[in-house]
Amino acid sequence: MSRYALRRLAQSVAVLLGVSVLVFAIMQLVPGDPVRAALGQQADPETYQALRERAGLDDPVPQQFVTWIAHAVTGDFGVSFRSGETVLSLILERVPATLSLALGAIVVALLIAIPLGTASALRPRKPVDWFASLSSQAGLSVPDFWLGIMLILVFAGTLGWLPSSGYTPLTEDPAGWLEHLILPAITAGVSSGAILTRFVRSSVLESLGQDHVRTARAKGMRARDVLTWHVLRNALVPLVTVGGVQLAYLLSGVVVVEFVFAWPGLGQLAFQAVESRDYPVLQGAVLLFAVIFLLVNLVVDLAYARLDPRITYRSAR
Amino acid sequence: MNRGKVRGQVLAFAAIALVSAGCGGGGDVDVDDPAGTGGSDSGGDGGSENAGGGTLVAAISAQPDQFDPHKTQAYASFQILENVYDTLVVPDAEGEFQPSLATEWTTSEDGLTWTFTLRDGVTFHDGSAFDSADVVYSYNRIIDEQLANAYRFASVASIDAPDPRTVTITLSAPTPALLDNIGGFKGMSIIPEGAADATDLATTAIGTGPFTLEGTSAGGVTLARYADYWGDPALVDGVEFQYVSEPAAALTALRSGDVHWTDNVPPQDIEGLEDDEEIELGVTPSVDYWYLAMNQAKPPFDNRDLRRGVAFGIDRDEVTEAARFGAATTNQSAIPEQSLWYHEYAPFEHDPDQATELIEQAATADPQPMGLMVTDEYPETVQAAQVIQAQLAEVGVDVGIEQETFATWLDRQAAGDYDAFLLGWLGNLDPFGFYHAQHVCEGTSNFQGYCNPEVDELLNQAAAETDQDARKALYDQAAEIIVDDVSYLYLYNPDVVQAWAPGLEGYEIRADKAINFETVRLPE
Repeated sequence: MSRYALRRLAQSVAVLLGVSVLVFAIMQLVPGDPVRAALGQQADPETYQALRERAGLDDPVPQQFVTWIAHAVTGDFGVSFRSGETVLSLILERVPATLSLALGAIVVALLIAIPLGTASALRPRKPVDWFASLSSQAGLSVPDFWLGIMLILVFAGTLGWLPSSGYTPLTEDPAGWLEHLILPAITAGVSSGAILTRFVRSSVLESLGQDHVRTARAKGMRARDVLTWHVLRNALVPLVTVGGVQLAYLLSGVVVVEFVFAWPGLGQLAFQAVESRDYPVLQGAVLLFAVIFLLVNLVVDLAYARLDPRITYRSAR
Repeated sequence: MNRGKVRGQVLAFAAIALVSAGCGGGGDVDVDDPAGTGGSDSGGDGGSENAGGGTLVAAISAQPDQFDPHKTQAYASFQILENVYDTLVVPDAEGEFQPSLATEWTTSEDGLTWTFTLRDGVTFHDGSAFDSADVVYSYNRIIDEQLANAYRFASVASIDAPDPRTVTITLSAPTPALLDNIGGFKGMSIIPEGAADATDLATTAIGTGPFTLEGTSAGGVTLARYADYWGDPALVDGVEFQYVSEPAAALTALRSGDVHWTDNVPPQDIEGLEDDEEIELGVTPSVDYWYLAMNQAKPPFDNRDLRRGVAFGIDRDEVTEAARFGAATTNQSAIPEQSLWYHEYAPFEHDPDQATELIEQAATADPQPMGLMVTDEYPETVQAAQVIQAQLAEVGVDVGIEQETFATWLDRQAAGDYDAFLLGWLGNLDPFGFYHAQHVCEGTSNFQGYCNPEVDELLNQAAAETDQDARKALYDQAAEIIVDDVSYLYLYNPDVVQAWAPGLEGYEIRADKAINFETVRLPE
């Protein structure tokens, strides 16, 4: 297994390198000059030229890439064109907010998906099933900016129960952190919840139909225990896969939700970097997203073995 | 001056979040109890609106890019820096220059030497004393490093400090707009000598202003009252800026009392807010202007008649209504009505017949195609373009709207790769800023390729004319030709729209959109 993990790590490095090359190439192809974006129109040609040189943008592209990689492996991801801050500090500054929102949203998603999906699988084609499929359809269709604004207007405006937007670090004020987290986590979690509901439903249905479940029932095991030990445990494996992908997606920033709720996450950072052609920041952010996806997938695969002892990883010799 | 078409550019979606109290938690590290006003609660966290003055919470719609006043071009950065840094002189609400770090100034007979006397007893936020060496250092930093505002010193030959309380600026040509050049906005702030090497000015600030920059985070910025400020100390203990880009969130926060002030009020909301008792709405004409420019290096837009035809074909009232929901004043020249430099001149009545005739004669095709470049960075350009498209369709111009991200937009503009574009210039005060670089043949902002030797002469003369009345007369003449030639097709001056909590006192909404919380008192 550790050999397996090592091999996966080696693959990951190759993927990361590929991602970097790709992002670098795409940024070159997209029109828009970062220095002009930073200066606006005001700057005279000398200022413009001075800045381009300082940023190394006049070097040949392959050389720029090599320079960047050489620094990146030492942990130096460069300096933002836009703000002059180091890319690493810009990213680290936003990690806690992003983690909070992603975990909050996945909790919301699971709280929706597991009960609703299980209930609808246990009573297929009954009202609860209709309700589940209808609400998961709705959850998928509702645009999150709309949902976000509605939640703000109702819970922050009319009812005044929760703050309308913003983020408070957990370390500073745990209660404030939770208050600020609730609405964005619901907004971001609903669509993931809708997706997961469907997976839970089909996967529970599939488990229900399996022989060992029938056997368990036949030998007189209580329905509740059958569900807990034989159905749900098996149904969990595919949920981990899909849930992992959802988590990775949430971790790489939910731009719209961050925008609506003034949530200082990575999505906004990446979005701004694209807008201002801030190559170093974008490069750093995309690399981080790639790392997140690779890590989450690795963890998911390794978790399989824990959840389902039948799965083992052996390196093929 | 022409501080910038685009100070806001990179802010796009601005980020956001109201991190309370930034990095420093309480953030009251070096706050000496200001004259006993605050008791032990000075610098207190949000919400304590008691005897101490409390913390003002301001929701701004865009996010600052950085805090180095000499490097940033972002309006959001200046909203904060306005309260932290000072310049030698400062414009009042009417745009007249008043003493700030300089208490008085004189100009030599030939207009080539300006002597500034500096204020006594000013200290920077790090405790060091302010003197003439700081001024020389600050200005030379902008010039030597060719920073974004270096062009403001184009006519400056040298900056000297004959003694600690005096600064002389020697010019290569008379520059009546010098006060605007050095004081028009906080991009010309004075920083302590050597500060750029000693600290990271992108994330920290050492100013002389009424507030110190206490902490920054991805979600906001915290300021604290500077007890040793040279003027009257601020009334509030501190200011917490939060970046809230969603207007519904900002207004909800204002209603619920979480926020005291915001500039995040879209023009379409004005009508609904006017009778709202939970919100105090401020609307005032700004010094910004929005315009359409046609590429005069490219036929048939090099044809003056065609451009005049387009000018006759546009109904500015309709454009203004669509772009700003009426929160703007139409104008056929650049300078707004409220300015002392305003010159009334409006030769283009909306006249589709005359437009059709002029365009027919000059067009290279029927209908004449015209790409109109706009940017989602400034949604009002997109809205205006849709109306303009409909209006010009009636007079024989087939407008194709080309919506670009701003980075691409700027690139295409610089490359001359467009037929026409819509954009604005923000924050100008002096007519030099309104007209010069945009319309002289070799002007750094003359992207439309306009060149009229007569205008060049008038503008160059005006730039060096020290008599204010004579100077205005020259600018008036130049403006008329610029308008007649349709170098720019001027559309409107937008209103500044801001909202604050009822009972908030001492705040002044300004045409140049400078936001100063020095004299603000929170509601009871």
